Amino acid sequence: MEDLALLGFGPDGWGKVLVQAGLMTLAVSVAAFVVGLALGTLIAWGRVSGGGMARALAHGYTAVMRGVPEILVIYLFYFGGRQVVTAVGTALGFPGPFDISGFMAGMLAIGLISGANQAEVLRGAWQAVPKGTIEAGRVVGMSRFTLFRRVIAPQALVTALPGLGNQWQSVIKESALVSVTGLVETMRQVSVAAGTTQEHFLFYAAGAAIYLAITTLSDQLFRLAERHSLRGHQQGGM
Amino acid sequence: MTDTSKTVLSIAGLRKSFGANEVLRGIDLAASDGDVISMIGASGSGKSTLLRCIPMLEIPDAGTVGVGEDRVSPRGGRLTRAEEATVRRMRCQLGFVFQNFNLWPHRTVLENVIEAPLFVQGRARSEAVDEAMALLDKVGLAAKRDAYPAHLSGGQQQRVAIARALAQHPRAILFDEPTSALDPELVGEVLKVIRSLAEEGRTMLIVTHEMGFAREVSSRVVFLHQGHIEEDGTPAEVFGAPKSERARAFLASHFDRNRQG
Repeated sequence: MEDLALLGFGPDGWGKVLVQAGLMTLAVSVAAFVVGLALGTLIAWGRVSGGGMARALAHGYTAVMRGVPEILVIYLFYFGGRQVVTAVGTALGFPGPFDISGFMAGMLAIGLISGANQAEVLRGAWQAVPKGTIEAGRVVGMSRFTLFRRVIAPQALVTALPGLGNQWQSVIKESALVSVTGLVETMRQVSVAAGTTQEHFLFYAAGAAIYLAITTLSDQLFRLAERHSLRGHQQGGM
Repeated sequence: MTDTSKTVLSIAGLRKSFGANEVLRGIDLAASDGDVISMIGASGSGKSTLLRCIPMLEIPDAGTVGVGEDRVSPRGGRLTRAEEATVRRMRCQLGFVFQNFNLWPHRTVLENVIEAPLFVQGRARSEAVDEAMALLDKVGLAAKRDAYPAHLSGGQQQRVAIARALAQHPRAILFDEPTSALDPELVGEVLKVIRSLAEEGRTMLIVTHEMGFAREVSSRVVFLHQGHIEEDGTPAEVFGAPKSERARAFLASHFDRNRQG
């Protein structure tokens, strides 16, 4: 079984770099998901309670981001972003060279796409908040922000959690696309290892195992969060 | 009413339409400290809309609403920024009890009651909790402090909603058909709480279909018909000797139904 030694932590083993790559996948995914959640909340806000302008902007953004391939957005940010940064930097008189890291470009690209999808999940959940509970908040004198923070968001999140869980899974899988920028995350690392050792099956299977480990563990976390959030409802415990 | 008693709530020239349907056609009404005013009338007469216009849950098309020293006269069914601030001050001086309770389902009984004191009025937690527990005790639900609304009966939920309204330190409490969503056997426990509030001398406006209750607790009864106030007097006047034909017909049909039921 010298094959398996290739996956170990010995001198010839790829174990350590694979773990590092897995952590990088996790880091890109978490950062992209958080960007997406913040953006998604803003877009959902615009679509539910914004004026005509905000509504049109939010709608347009969602339409564009959901209609364009992810890989194109990543290229746009990584290569196109470098051009834009260079142009802006030169115009401002900073000395070059300018660069955008693969992490930054990939994380932003995936976050922006995820934001559009998360906005749809959040919008649906927001609209499902019982109107009476919102009126009860307004009638005790809550400001818009307090109403959102104390009444709307907690109830909408309960409804949104399963959908957000799905979005998180998508983000993890989409993070593999960031390998095109040369960022050493799981996908990149296993393909380098497979090419170097010519053990393609072994390393791609190892890559699959890493992704599965991340998705399975985080699925458990989302389930826990769901159970906690349902504590006030009939089907939940106390 | 007399000028010696303090006006808590005043409504003047209030109009409200939903599309082509004119629901309120110029309402004038004032409540003084300690008044218990029941508003009765057929469904569609505008009584719930009138009540909802007071804290601007519905924004009237014309007219003025005043609570304490604050008053607003919104135009065109919208509030300006300045009016919004005034309305929030007005809301802080009112308690509102909904037909469907509208407790916050993600918060426990106690959390429902201390929510506004903590997050709107900025009171200290220990003080708010002490007061909330006293209020829950008063409505007979201190033992349920950690229960979630979904685990309570309708009557219990409505009593929590009343405690939540009382935690506002309201100058007046508005009840929008507080027993209409309840199973018949649960109506009594809620009416009992409202009756005890009347006995404390609290200022209340009650939209209700419980004629016997209205007659018993009210200091004044207002009969609405098609967006107008048709009768306004003591319970003895309105129930005993209604002036208008429509009020007579409404009351006759209601008391008949109650006898049969």
